Amino acid sequence: TTPMDADSDVALDILITNVVCVFRTRCHLNLRKIALEGANVIYKRDVGKVLMKLRKPRITATIWSSGKIICTGATSEEEAKFGARRLARSLQKLGFQVIFTDFKVVNVLAVCNMPFEIRLPEFTKNNRPHASYEPELHPAVCYRIKSLRATLQIFSTGSITVTGPNVKAVATAVEQIYPFVFESR
Amino acid sequence: MTGRVCRGCGGTDIELDTARGDAVCTGCGSVLEDNIIVSEVQFVENSGGGSSAVGQFVSLDGAGKTPALGGGFHVNLGKESRAQTLQNGRRQIHHLGSQLQLNQHCLDTAFNFFKMAVSKHLTRGRRMAHVIAACLYLVCRTEGTPHMLLDLSDLLQVNVYVLGKTFLLLARELCINAPAIDPCLYIPRFAHLLEFGEKNHEVSMTALRLLQRMKRDWMHTGRRPSGLCGAALLVAARMHDFRRTVKEVISVVKVCESTLRKRLTEFEDTPTSQLTVDEFMKIDLEGECDPPSYTAGQRKLRMKQLEQVLSKKLEDVEGEISSYQDAIESELENSRPKAKGTLASLTRDGSVEDSASSLFGEEDPEDEELQAAASHLNKDFYRELLGAGVSSSSGEAGGPEGGSRPPALESLLGPLPTAASLGISDSIRECISSQSQEPTEPDPNAAALCFPVAGARGDGELDLSGIDDLEIDRYILNEAEARVKAELWMRENAEYLREQREKEARIAKEKELGIYKEHKPKKSCKRREPIQASTAGEAIEKMLEQKKISSKINYSVLQDLNSKGGGSLRGGGAQPQERAGARKLSRRKTPAGRSGADPVSSVGKRLRPMVSAQPAKRAAVGETLLLSSPSLGAEPVRPTAVVESGPVSYPPEEDPDEEDPDEEDGEPCVSALQMMGSSDYGCDGEEDEGY
Repeated sequence: TTPMDADSDVALDILITNVVCVFRTRCHLNLRKIALEGANVIYKRDVGKVLMKLRKPRITATIWSSGKIICTGATSEEEAKFGARRLARSLQKLGFQVIFTDFKVVNVLAVCNMPFEIRLPEFTKNNRPHASYEPELHPAVCYRIKSLRATLQIFSTGSITVTGPNVKAVATAVEQIYPFVFESR
Repeated sequence: MTGRVCRGCGGTDIELDTARGDAVCTGCGSVLEDNIIVSEVQFVENSGGGSSAVGQFVSLDGAGKTPALGGGFHVNLGKESRAQTLQNGRRQIHHLGSQLQLNQHCLDTAFNFFKMAVSKHLTRGRRMAHVIAACLYLVCRTEGTPHMLLDLSDLLQVNVYVLGKTFLLLARELCINAPAIDPCLYIPRFAHLLEFGEKNHEVSMTALRLLQRMKRDWMHTGRRPSGLCGAALLVAARMHDFRRTVKEVISVVKVCESTLRKRLTEFEDTPTSQLTVDEFMKIDLEGECDPPSYTAGQRKLRMKQLEQVLSKKLEDVEGEISSYQDAIESELENSRPKAKGTLASLTRDGSVEDSASSLFGEEDPEDEELQAAASHLNKDFYRELLGAGVSSSSGEAGGPEGGSRPPALESLLGPLPTAASLGISDSIRECISSQSQEPTEPDPNAAALCFPVAGARGDGELDLSGIDDLEIDRYILNEAEARVKAELWMRENAEYLREQREKEARIAKEKELGIYKEHKPKKSCKRREPIQASTAGEAIEKMLEQKKISSKINYSVLQDLNSKGGGSLRGGGAQPQERAGARKLSRRKTPAGRSGADPVSSVGKRLRPMVSAQPAKRAAVGETLLLSSPSLGAEPVRPTAVVESGPVSYPPEEDPDEEDPDEEDGEPCVSALQMMGSSDYGCDGEEDEGY
């Protein structure tokens, strides 16, 4: 009966706070040139990368000289792609022969709120292998779903932070965890 | 030990020496057993005249010196190392555990955990101290002793989160479920440290009750148990008339003062705090509270709602606002964002911030009025934007003219985002229709929200739809700006650049002096796979290929030996095996006596490959080349002298030696081994052999 009840009122809104993606430009980039001519860049020479921040989709990109670029800060998958393309375009304008390949969303971070509180020690006991709770170290229970490669951090106030490889996995993870969390409220 | 047959020569004459614990074959001299375990105790006379018991100490855990020598030095090595690791671990566990006053049973359990961890290779790549601490903490948790991770980290001076990480990993890998910590466990320990004298027990009981109450009030989920204990003990002490200050409690419980105070205030919020001491001991309130972080969140929500209601009310008051309207409007037009370069925009932002600071100190109602006015105005603003296409207006940002203007600006720009949500559809239309025509950038907030979801083309070409080129152009600095930026960056990173230059100078100098040593990343030693061969001859062949030639052997002497004993070789397969074994052994022992000419011929074989190997390489390592020249001289003679007969064939080639050739060879310690067949230096063979 509990699963049925749980399913009936699931109308939780999952807020995606961060999407991380990578892509390649297939050409060697001269970091020094980017650093000198870009207006919105930070050049970290000691680690060999350039941080470029865009304003329109709020995105921070880490650019390596090999042509690999990691893009963080977007709030949806489309936005991430859009921002990545803008970035590639601006690199093109700087004069590099950029080809936009291998775009992949690597990590999605989302937050979700349950309308009830959760008893963490009880929850950990019921979900032994997947859940790990160490109050001395972190106030939340860390629940890993291996099949989806997703990790959920469950707080006692009912808010849950989910990280997963893509948006769909994140949504599925929340759906999966709902009944368990509902039991221990 | 009668009836035993020597594995080497097949002879039955075995001599058993109980003093040394050896069993040796008198025919070929191979040691069949070492460290024999006997049940009788014998005494031998010492040189000093006293007598001592015969025997050797063998350690309890770990194999120690395995009874069977030879065959499988590889494995012997591995075992010894493992035994050493375990021994080391045991010692450290005892050392640490005694500091924590853990009893022997706990220490043994911890050692078991450690053994499991080692067998699963969890110690690789981690500090041994961390792993040990994690094992100990695991034991503490399973046994329920009042030890905190903090204690361990104190002892080791390691960050507690690092230890925690190792501990979590260990618990996960070993599939051990550590039961959750109950703060009640810590109470007796802390109470004892706080020295309550005879009333210790009573105070503890009171503190326990308090903790139960806290649990029901949802204060304890997600909190460090030590913090809760501290608060409970403090209150309990006060209830029993003990003056324990916050500082004393902190030093015992190891939390921060602010944490303790926070717990106390949280507890204050619960209805239980209203009871008197006696009441508390008797009654237990039924209701439960919400967790404190939840109530804090609720409070914020309520505040926001209040604000909204208030602002709505003020919107209705339009009378006094109309006079501000015109002033604000003109100000607006003057100072619309005209971004020529990011520096310009930065200055614009700067001026806004300046004006913002002047806002502080104004009374609230005025502010709210202005806010309301501003939001009202925004609607007008957007209508204007659409209609007139308001472009370059007159004048730059007019300086702040009195108090009314600048605040208006700031409050105008303040609620822009909220107003933008109203004007979105309009601005999107504008954005799409007039993309590259506008010289000035339309409101960034509005434009930011139009994302055409265009599919990427598969061939990697950049799909340019929806990308505003002009905005991107602004990201590219012009000459002067680039110079300024370069200058700034240089100044910022001066330290790093200086270090780099110094390092290069140092390297250049060293190069000149010739002592420059490049630090190449260490190459890990290759593990050699055991040789799989069906016959002894094959085994020797393969081994010859693998093994490197030694430079420590005086081959000229061996030559003579060889010529003498050239024909006597070729026993059965046993011989070559022995030889192979001998080689293995001799790697460790220095060439002792040379018995038998067997090995010599193999030396001869090996000589050729040795010569062709670059002598230069070996010189680099600093070993003395005993016989490069004599061997060269000897070389041409050799092939004729050596009697090549039998199954052993000459390996025409040797593999290139990169590392210096280890010693090896034909040292006639043929007396060595029982070769369980050199085919596998398998420990398995050994184990069967040993008792």
